[in-house]
Amino acid sequence: MGIFDMMGVSASALAAERQRAEVTSANLANAETTHTDQGGPYQRKEVVFSSAGDSPFQSVFHQMGSFGQPAAGTVQLTEIVNDTTPPVMRYEPGNPDANKDGYVAYPAINPMTEMVDLMDATRAYQLNASAISAAKQMVQESIDILKSS
Amino acid sequence: MNDSMIQMLQGYLQLATDRQQIITANMANVDTPGYHSRDINFQQAMQDVMDQSGTMQLEPATEEVQGLPERPDGNDVNVDRESMLMSETQLQYQMGVQLIKSEFHTLYTAIKD
Repeated sequence: MGIFDMMGVSASALAAERQRAEVTSANLANAETTHTDQGGPYQRKEVVFSSAGDSPFQSVFHQMGSFGQPAAGTVQLTEIVNDTTPPVMRYEPGNPDANKDGYVAYPAINPMTEMVDLMDATRAYQLNASAISAAKQMVQESIDILKSS
Repeated sequence: MNDSMIQMLQGYLQLATDRQQIITANMANVDTPGYHSRDINFQQAMQDVMDQSGTMQLEPATEEVQGLPERPDGNDVNVDRESMLMSETQLQYQMGVQLIKSEFHTLYTAIKD
């Protein structure tokens, strides 16, 4: 543990929240995409966060051995999963992606859900950015001990 | 110049740093399903620092905070609580630094005069 580990933990959260915002933006952007390389409409994606890093005992153990272990409490984006909600069928006979009955499969994306998710990610990003500012200030204060009074 | 005073303040700063890191980890995991807030017993840990000044200082034991309402995803991080504790710990750290500076200033005065 140390002040610099603290910044590492916050930085991992910043990275995870940014990726979450990216995935949410992709969902919003592809809300009307009916055609993908894999065939079929775009599938909504969701991120999975998990807490990584050592328990306090392990972190002491690793400090005595080697460096470079993730600090306790680091956040990781473990995987990006596809939402398996079935697509929404809309009757559009003129659309080239329509099936033989004239229905087009649209991704089941609710822009409201995505916007709320995006706001949540932004707020969490801000929270962790302010945590980094706090850590920086603490480092600055320790450096000030060196300055002759 | 009181040597044990500096040592005690060093322990205090270390403790404040440790707590700040735990709070940071809580904040970082605000969206991790199933994560529970952790904290240290600051008073108990400070007592340990004062009792065993001079010996090697181990990291204080962290424990899960009891009594926080849990969200449906099993996460119980309370952003307001963590923000408040973060400011508090930051001020505690600032106080420790100022006290150390004043200790050194006393020493400097003794040398100069």
